[in-house]
Amino acid sequence: MKHNFVIKKLTLLKIQNLSKTYKKGDNKIYALRDISFDVEKGEYVSIVGKSGSGKSTLLNLLGGMDTNAEGAVYYDNRNLLEMKERELSNYRKSVIGMIFQSFNLIPSHTALDNVMLPLIFSSFPRALRRTRACELLYNMGLYNRALHYPSELSGGEAQRVAIARALANKPQIILADEPTGNLDTATSREIIDLLQMFNRKHQITIVMVTHDKETANRVSDKTILLSDGEIIKTTINKPVYNLDDSSTQKPQFNL
Amino acid sequence: MTISDILSISFNNLRRNIFRSILTILGVAVGVGALSTMISLGRGVSMNIAKQMETNDLFTGMTVSGRDLDMDHVNSRRSILSPKDEEIVPLTDSTIADLKRMPEVAMVFPEIIKPASIQFRGKKINTNLKAVPCEMGVFHPFDNIKIGTFYKTDSDPCVIISKNVLHQLGFALPNEDIEHISEHSLTVIPVDSVIGQDLDVITTVFDPEKIDLLTSTSKQLPIKNEVTNLKIKGIVETNSFSSGMFSGGIFLPPLTCEWVPCIDLNYVYNLMNDTQDKYGKYASIHVRVKDHSLLKKAKFDIEDKGLHVFSIGDKLDDLERLFYILDSALAAIGIIALLISVFGIVNTLIMAIYERRKEIGIMKSLGATQWQIKQIFYYEAASIGTIGGIVGVIGGKIISEIASNIANHHLGTFIDSNIEYFSYSLSIVGISIVFSIIVSIIASIYPANKASKIDPLDALRRE
Ligand SMILES: Nc1ncnc2c1ncn2[C@@H]1O[C@H](COP(=O)(O)OP(=O)(O)OP(=O)(O)O)[C@@H](O)[C@H]1O
Ligand SMILES: [Mg+2]
Repeated sequence: MKHNFVIKKLTLLKIQNLSKTYKKGDNKIYALRDISFDVEKGEYVSIVGKSGSGKSTLLNLLGGMDTNAEGAVYYDNRNLLEMKERELSNYRKSVIGMIFQSFNLIPSHTALDNVMLPLIFSSFPRALRRTRACELLYNMGLYNRALHYPSELSGGEAQRVAIARALANKPQIILADEPTGNLDTATSREIIDLLQMFNRKHQITIVMVTHDKETANRVSDKTILLSDGEIIKTTINKPVYNLDDSSTQKPQFNL
Repeated sequence: MTISDILSISFNNLRRNIFRSILTILGVAVGVGALSTMISLGRGVSMNIAKQMETNDLFTGMTVSGRDLDMDHVNSRRSILSPKDEEIVPLTDSTIADLKRMPEVAMVFPEIIKPASIQFRGKKINTNLKAVPCEMGVFHPFDNIKIGTFYKTDSDPCVIISKNVLHQLGFALPNEDIEHISEHSLTVIPVDSVIGQDLDVITTVFDPEKIDLLTSTSKQLPIKNEVTNLKIKGIVETNSFSSGMFSGGIFLPPLTCEWVPCIDLNYVYNLMNDTQDKYGKYASIHVRVKDHSLLKKAKFDIEDKGLHVFSIGDKLDDLERLFYILDSALAAIGIIALLISVFGIVNTLIMAIYERRKEIGIMKSLGATQWQIKQIFYYEAASIGTIGGIVGVIGGKIISEIASNIANHHLGTFIDSNIEYFSYSLSIVGISIVFSIIVSIIASIYPANKASKIDPLDALRRE
C-alpha cells in the first residue's frame, strides 16, 4: 500500500451516485445522471456546463432544497435525501448559505431586515441581531444602504446584501447559483472577488454554478463540467490569488 | 424566533396590504360587535328588566283573597259582586296572624283601599287611599323615598303621595325631566311647598239628615262629603312595574286610614246580602315573601289553607325562559356574523399565500421551519382577531349606547325609569375578544398549513 503525505482532508459533502429524473409523460428526462464527487472543507468548487445541463438541479440537491432524487448526498454522515423536514431546515439554516442569480431579497424588507431574517429563524440573540446584521452590511461596504429597500439597490449592491444574508448564520458552505448572472462584468468581478476572499481568508467552502469557465478556472480549486446531467470532466485548478490586489478596496472582515 | 419577532413579521405583513387588512379586521369587528351586542342585549333584557321587576313588589308580592278572583273577568262587575258560591274563606285578623307565621313570609297586611278625592293648592283629583303599615318602610318602593320620609307609626296623621299623583294634580318638582314637564304643562313648585303641607282628603259619608229624603221623590243620595286634613310626609316614586297596590295613589298609616270616614261599599253589599260573616273583615290581604324563589312555595302553602292567591310573580319563570331563548337566538345571530367574517380571514390569508409565495420560499431557503411559517400566519390571524375583537366590542358598545338612548328617549314617557337594554360586563368583553382570537386562529389553520408546505424550489423558480 502506497503511503501518502496528504494534508488531512475533511469532507463536508459526499455526493454519491446522485441521479434525478423528471417525468414528462411516458419518457424520463435525466436532469442528473450518476453524479459522484466530494466537497472538501475550505474548497472552492465551480460547476460549469451548458444551459440545461443540470447545474441548478445539482446545487439545489446540495442545499437541501430538493430531496427527490436517487443516490445520496452525505453531510456529517447523514444523507440529505433521507432527512426529515425539520432536519433539512436546520441544515439549510446552519450549514448552508444560498446565493441566487436573482438575489431573492424580500422586497418588502429593508437590506437590514433581509440580513436579520436568517438570524430570526436561527433564534440568534435578539439584542445582538441588529449589531450582527449591521456589521455584515458594513463589511460588504453597504453600511449606508442598510435601510434601503431592494428596489432601491443596484444589482451589485443587492447581491452583496444577499451575500451578507447568506453569511449571517456563519454557514460552512456557500452555494451560489450564477451569482453574477444578472451583473455587468465589473460588478461580477467584485462579487467573485468577495467570494474568493471569504474562501481564502475565512475557509468558507463555496460551491458556485457559473457559465463562465474562465472565471471558474481562475478562482476555484476544482471545476466540475456537467453535460446532460453527467460529469464529463473534473479539473483541479491552481487558482490565482488576488487578495493583495490593491486596486479594489477590501474592508477587514470579522466573520 | 421569539413572539415579538413573529409579531413584527406579522404586523409587517398586515401593514403591507393595509387596505385589505383593514377590511378583514372590519369584517371581524362587525362579527364580534354583533356577537357582543347581541349577548349584552340578551343579558340586559333578561337581567335588568327581570331585576327591576324582582326588586319591587311585583315578584315577591301576592294578593290573598277568600274567593276566587277570576282574572279573566277582573273588570266585570259580575265576578266581583256575585262570585261563584264556592267555599269562601273569611279573611280575618286570625288569617293574617296565620299567614305571618309562615317562614317564607316577610310581610302581611290587609289591603284596605278607600276611594277619595284629594285637593291640593286648589287642584282636585280622584284617587284611592291605601292603608300601608309603617313596617313597609323597609320594602320597595318605600325603602327608597328621596323626597321627605316614610312615616314612623301606624297612626301618624300624614300621607305619602306618589309622584304620579303630584303630576296628576298638575305639579312637578324642580329637579324633574324638563321635557316631561313641558309636555304635560306641569307647574314646577319647590319641594318645601309640598312636604309638610296639608292635603285635603275628601271622602263620602252617610248623611243621616238626608236619610228621610230617600223616601221622598228627590233623587239625592243620603251622602255628603267630609274633609280630612293630612300632612304630606313624603313623595314616593312608583314605576310601571309595580303591582296594583303600589302603583299609585295616596298611602297612609292603617289607623289613620281607619279614622278617615268613608262609606264601606263592601259593608253595604254585605249587609244587603246578609253575608257579613261569610266574607270576614277584609276583602284581600297583601303578602310579601322574603325572596322571589320562595314565592311558589308560599303560594302553594297559602292555597292549601283554602285561600285564593293571585300573583304574577310565578309567571317570572316563564319570562326567564323566554329571555333565555331570546339570549340564545341573539348569540346565534352574533356567532353566524362572526363565522361569516371568518371566511374573510381565510380568504385574506389564502390571498396572502399567493402573494407571498416567493417570500415564503426565500424564508424556507434561509432555514425557516414549517412551524415557523405556520406561526407567522397564526399570529397574523390572531392580530386580526385581536384588533377586530377590540374594535368590534368598542363599536358594539357605542352602537348599543346609541340604541339604548334612542329607546329610552322614546319609551321614557311610558316608563318612568331608564332601562339598560344592554348589559356589558368584563366577561362579555373578554369572552368576545378571546372568542374572536380563537376563531381567527382556527380560520388560519388551513392557510397556515398550506403556506408551510410550499416547496421552496417551486416558489423560487417562479418569477
Ligand atoms: N421542474 C422541472 N420539471 C421538468 N424538468 C425540469 C425541471 N427543472 C429542471 N428541469 C430540466 O432539468 C434539466 C436541468 O435543469 P437545470 O435547471 O438544472 O439546468 P441548468 O444547468 O441550471 O441550466 P441554466 O444554466 O439555464 O440555469 C433541464 O433539461 C430542465 O429542462
Ligand atoms: Mg440554472
